[in-house]
Amino acid sequence: MFREVVAHISGLQFLMEDLDLRSPMGRRYLLDSKMMYCKKEITEELNLVDQLVQALELNSDLISKIQNKLMHLRDIRGSVNNLIGNLVLDDVELFEIKLFALLAQEIIELQKEGNQSFLEISDLSQLIRLLDPQNTKIPSFYIYDNYSIELTEARKELKLAKSKNGESDLDTEVLFVKMQGIEANVREELCTNISQFGDVLANALNQLAHFDLLISKAVQAKKWFLSKAKISEEKTLYVGMFNPMIKNELANHKKEYQAIDIELEKSVCLITGANMAGKTVVLKTLALCQYLFQFGFFVPATSAQISIVDKVMISVGDEQSELNGLSSFASEMLNVNCMVKDSKNQNNVLILIDELARTTNPVEGLAIVNAVADIFYQGKIKSVITTHYSGLKSKFRKLRVKGLDKDLGVNTITHKNINSYMDYSLVEDLEGEVPHEALRIASLLGIDKEIIDGAQNQLASKNKL
Amino acid sequence: MPFLNDIHKYTSLSIVGLEKNTGKTECLNYVLSRLRSSHKQIALTSIGIDGESRDQVTHTNKPEIELSEGMIFVTTELHYKQRKLLSEVIDVSRQSTSLGRLVTAKALTKGKVILSGPASNHSIKELIADLKNKGVELCIVDGALSRKSIGSPAVTEAMILATGAALSANITQLVYKTKYVYDLIQLPEIELNLKAQLAEVNSGIWAIDSKGRFQHTGISSVLLIKKEKDKLFEYGNGFFVSGAVTDQFLEFLKNQKQISEINLIVRDFTRVFAKPETYYAFVKRGGRMQVLNKTNLLAITINPVSPDGYRLNSDELKSALQDKVNVPVYDIKNIQ
Repeated sequence: MFREVVAHISGLQFLMEDLDLRSPMGRRYLLDSKMMYCKKEITEELNLVDQLVQALELNSDLISKIQNKLMHLRDIRGSVNNLIGNLVLDDVELFEIKLFALLAQEIIELQKEGNQSFLEISDLSQLIRLLDPQNTKIPSFYIYDNYSIELTEARKELKLAKSKNGESDLDTEVLFVKMQGIEANVREELCTNISQFGDVLANALNQLAHFDLLISKAVQAKKWFLSKAKISEEKTLYVGMFNPMIKNELANHKKEYQAIDIELEKSVCLITGANMAGKTVVLKTLALCQYLFQFGFFVPATSAQISIVDKVMISVGDEQSELNGLSSFASEMLNVNCMVKDSKNQNNVLILIDELARTTNPVEGLAIVNAVADIFYQGKIKSVITTHYSGLKSKFRKLRVKGLDKDLGVNTITHKNINSYMDYSLVEDLEGEVPHEALRIASLLGIDKEIIDGAQNQLASKNKL
Repeated sequence: MPFLNDIHKYTSLSIVGLEKNTGKTECLNYVLSRLRSSHKQIALTSIGIDGESRDQVTHTNKPEIELSEGMIFVTTELHYKQRKLLSEVIDVSRQSTSLGRLVTAKALTKGKVILSGPASNHSIKELIADLKNKGVELCIVDGALSRKSIGSPAVTEAMILATGAALSANITQLVYKTKYVYDLIQLPEIELNLKAQLAEVNSGIWAIDSKGRFQHTGISSVLLIKKEKDKLFEYGNGFFVSGAVTDQFLEFLKNQKQISEINLIVRDFTRVFAKPETYYAFVKRGGRMQVLNKTNLLAITINPVSPDGYRLNSDELKSALQDKVNVPVYDIKNIQ
């Protein structure tokens, strides 16, 4: 469910908060929505979003009218459940149901007027007829005189007595109690009559929540230039993929985000590159996109074709481990172990591991990377592992971040502007060597010179030997 | 009654009792009865759950307000169910109070209701604005003046104050106590540009520096003043206290040597919890006090009868109070 995923996947929360949901149920609907694994389901949802994106272009007036109606909706689940449970509702609950039904009907009318049918919404006109016996279409409610002649008479009698004898007269009070009794009977009968609409109401409630979500997805897609991914059977391919949350953050600092292209096959792929070259962001964005796609969102890329997976597994090394008494190495290994196990059971998964085995010595670390990569290679598991280790087996596909290749000119790089000189694009890398730029990056970050010089001397003397 | 003519100028009015049984409900019922002939759309609500908590448990003593046909009223779900009139629901709030959501309804017949309403200033303001949207021309708030309530009747444009023997059985004392509240209500309002700056502030003590800008003193509440005295005068001698102004705090300010330069801004008159003696001493020594929200006091009503049966001389009380205040004073049960 979205609710479980949203907290773990970086960037997903950001997009959820960014959604322009108008009704209180829209958010609940999203949180309760299940990840989709079926091609038909995803296509349907994406087509609906697409239809609304187009409507936003051509008929934005209609959409804003509908959104305006959605804004007035209340989450009446409680009242609907009471209705389904055959309880007698009070005036306030009946008012809520009437208000909801009127709004739902207005949205149906709006769709009709605009000759658009984005989403079918259950017809509630019969229910409205019962709750609006005077046919005023005004959102207010009481137990109307129209419901019973007996009630009309009792009320008349009471009114007469009140004006004759005053409010606190005994007769008046007796009549008031009598009137209340009749009112209670009428209410009971009314509730029995409308209880048959309980399920229809529950449906409509869901449909409108869905509608709200769809519109907000479309608005978001337009705002961020997200695109509708094609469903692919084999490869996953992103052109111009970006991370909206980071793009937003950079834009706040008047910086630009460099979108990247990446293609994933049903095999392992290793990404190498200097520090600060955006490898982790690539992994996180891949996870984000996969989830967005399977929850029926457009994805942050110029174009994309994505294959459906049964599970996304990501390890970015920021798990809390002190509390359960594990070292960062141990918790990473346990996590990776789960991934390997799962990948053996169901091979249609997406596995993303950031800097596998980085917290141990490079000799064994490299061995672990090669071993894990080999398992994914053999098992044809769609997976991405980032690493700084050299000496990766040549049969694995490797991508390298271009890094600080851009022409520097006379400008000096600092950690504040490094973003403008870093080329984040990924290139196929046929050699096994990884870039050795750690010291350069460290010095750019303004790390104490003593450390840099010391490290350089170390390297120099090692080379001499 | 002349003050009723003034009511027409305002779109919101609160009726505030200085103590239980000072005739607030009678005053409200009187105002309503006089407004019956005007063709204004009137709405009624209350601040918080009025009165002592005892009332919520026993549901006794809660005065019912007599409405006439066509009036709009706002009350909580619980009290809506106990209404003794026919009314149609026209709105239900999304937020809930301790007694359920707020129901806005229109009376279809005359009859009695118990009023209860939103608890915070913000929600009262919102409610009044919402009622205006619904076509209400005058919104009357049954206001409690209680330390327990965070909502303040000062959010309304105009106010009527109800006082009486229940507050004190001694005319001199009663006049003194009432005059004190009167003085606080009459505190001058700050300038508009400062008002805009302060509207968003919700907590702490703020100082005004020499350039007229607000600086947080770092003191989160006047209750902590003893420990953090040194921080207070860092920026200047003008302050805004967002919450309550206690006796202790005013006492502290009063004793400073630069007292004549001190200017204290409080949210509204209900936030001053200092003893009258302290306040008057503060003013006498040259201290100034201003409010963020001022309301127009239209009249003071008196109830010379105390709940334990003691009866003060109505005329004597009336003239003693009238000597001290600049608004009309009425005995609500004895209006010529």
